Amino acid sequence: MSDALVILFGEILEMDEKDIHDDLSPKNTSQWDSLTSMHLVAAIETTFDIHLSTKEILKMTNISMVRQVLKEKNVTI
Amino acid sequence: MAKPSDTHIRIGVMSSFTAEPLTPHLRKYFKEKNLGEAQILFAPFNQIHQTCYAINSAFAEIPDILIILWRLEDLIDQSHTTEIAEKTIDDLLSAFSYLREHFKGSIIINQATQPWLLDRDLASIDQQSIITKDNKNLQQFANQKIGEINQILSLDIDSLMMKIGIDKAHDNRKWYLYRQPWSEAFWAVIGRQIGRLITAQKRSSKKCIVLDADNTLWGGVIGEDGLGGIAIGNDFPGNAYRDFQKRLLSLQQKGILLAMASKNNPEDVFEVFDKHDAMILKRDHFVGFEIHWQFKAVSIQNIAKKLNIGIDSIVFIDDNPKEIAEVQSLHPEVTCILVPEEIISLPGIFDGSDLFDTLKITNEDRHRTDLIRSEDIRKHAEVSMTAEEFLLFLKLEVNVFKAEEKHLGRITQLINKTNQFNLTTIRRTHDEVKILSQSPGILLLGMTLKDRFGDYGLVGVAILHLQKDMAKLDTFLMSCRALGRGAEEEFLKQVIKLSSSSAIVGQYNPTSKNQLAKDFLISQGFIYDETHNTWTLSVF
Repeated sequence: MSDALVILFGEILEMDEKDIHDDLSPKNTSQWDSLTSMHLVAAIETTFDIHLSTKEILKMTNISMVRQVLKEKNVTI
Repeated sequence: MAKPSDTHIRIGVMSSFTAEPLTPHLRKYFKEKNLGEAQILFAPFNQIHQTCYAINSAFAEIPDILIILWRLEDLIDQSHTTEIAEKTIDDLLSAFSYLREHFKGSIIINQATQPWLLDRDLASIDQQSIITKDNKNLQQFANQKIGEINQILSLDIDSLMMKIGIDKAHDNRKWYLYRQPWSEAFWAVIGRQIGRLITAQKRSSKKCIVLDADNTLWGGVIGEDGLGGIAIGNDFPGNAYRDFQKRLLSLQQKGILLAMASKNNPEDVFEVFDKHDAMILKRDHFVGFEIHWQFKAVSIQNIAKKLNIGIDSIVFIDDNPKEIAEVQSLHPEVTCILVPEEIISLPGIFDGSDLFDTLKITNEDRHRTDLIRSEDIRKHAEVSMTAEEFLLFLKLEVNVFKAEEKHLGRITQLINKTNQFNLTTIRRTHDEVKILSQSPGILLLGMTLKDRFGDYGLVGVAILHLQKDMAKLDTFLMSCRALGRGAEEEFLKQVIKLSSSSAIVGQYNPTSKNQLAKDFLISQGFIYDETHNTWTLSVF
């Protein structure tokens, strides 16, 4: 099922939404480089209207960690 | 060669820091303005020098436009001596100059910016720190050198940053994580500004502001409050109206025409212009007054007709929402602006707007109001004479010549602004025109016009491709303010003579505004060839 986060990753990684799963990370996804990370941070901050600290940004090493960080910040996806 | 609208434009970016966040904002601007897709390519990170010297191989495809974003602090370390720092800047500027000579398209380079210093707050309270002072000198040094490079568009990042605030413009997280210094909010500002710089070269901007009088140029109603009762002067709210008039005056000096549409008794309005010393705008700054009690939509139509400009090049400003709504419904192409409820916002009403974006102010722009006013005198003369008598009386002097470097600014402007008497409406940037002027087999001609009432300056452009025994008319245009005096015929005659060809082959690209140009072809005896879609005139 596509939630807002899946749609966001699909757009930025230019991937089909059905290929976006929680284990997706820079290690197993070639298009997820440091530039893409930067775009992802910008998109996540704009979409969910939050501000991420560097600690939180570095913690987001795969999609399930992104979910966890957002959950800690009380964001509903 | 340039097409009337760019469907696909390639923009190359090189920078001394990570600049990829520019992409969505620049693309958004292109989308908003219906300019088609922008493809944005990035040179390798922090390799400005190398990219400048290898521009033909640095990008996957050669871009149409280049953007260079750089910061002093990325190139110069605080431990560097002034000599080393100046040498570094010199090297960079040589690379820019090399690039300008070897790249054909437009180049946008930012002015040197005030470095974002870690020790900013350490500067002593009553004087600048030595580092700040040194940096200011370096910044000045670099900007002077940038100013010496011809034909680049410059981006003033410091001013943009001042507007949103230096703290708000930076995002230290992104700097430390990605070597990307700026906040999303600031990238939005930069993207829009760059978009404006790119499009201002090609778009025809607004030409005339039609203003209401009461509660727009001054506070209050002259017919009711009288000369002593209206608000214009040094105190609130008169000071806001006065500053608004100052802004209008500076636009007028840039070449934007001012006109008035007011429901009033003319003598009341003119009394304000003639007798109120606080008025910044005088009667002479206006090219037309429509002061009566008829519909403002009609007034605006009259003004457009009188000035020979399209109704879509008009901006209308009024404090009455009903007037705005009426004009907007009858003339949806007019840009209507309602005077803000909060009057202190009135002077800044055009801030950040791209309505009047043009890149170069020419002498003709500055004098346009004068020209149009002598046009009024011409029209009065016209009434009492036959057409032939009038032409003789006018003493037209048409002069067609090969364009030189100094004419290219005005020629580019005409190419991008002229809508009505324009055979092909091919738009071109300054750089494209410059290349044409140097191309063999191409004749780039300018035309100046004078008559007994004044000098119109450069008002016509013709571009011919010379081929064996015939000349292809790529561009043939004349500013609308020079039309209707028989100068068109004389222009064509001299163009034919200079081409020394036995046939002129023209193409007519119809637009919603240039029927005039087709009528001219027919009247001059051009014969239409349906199979080639060309118009040919044989010269004997």
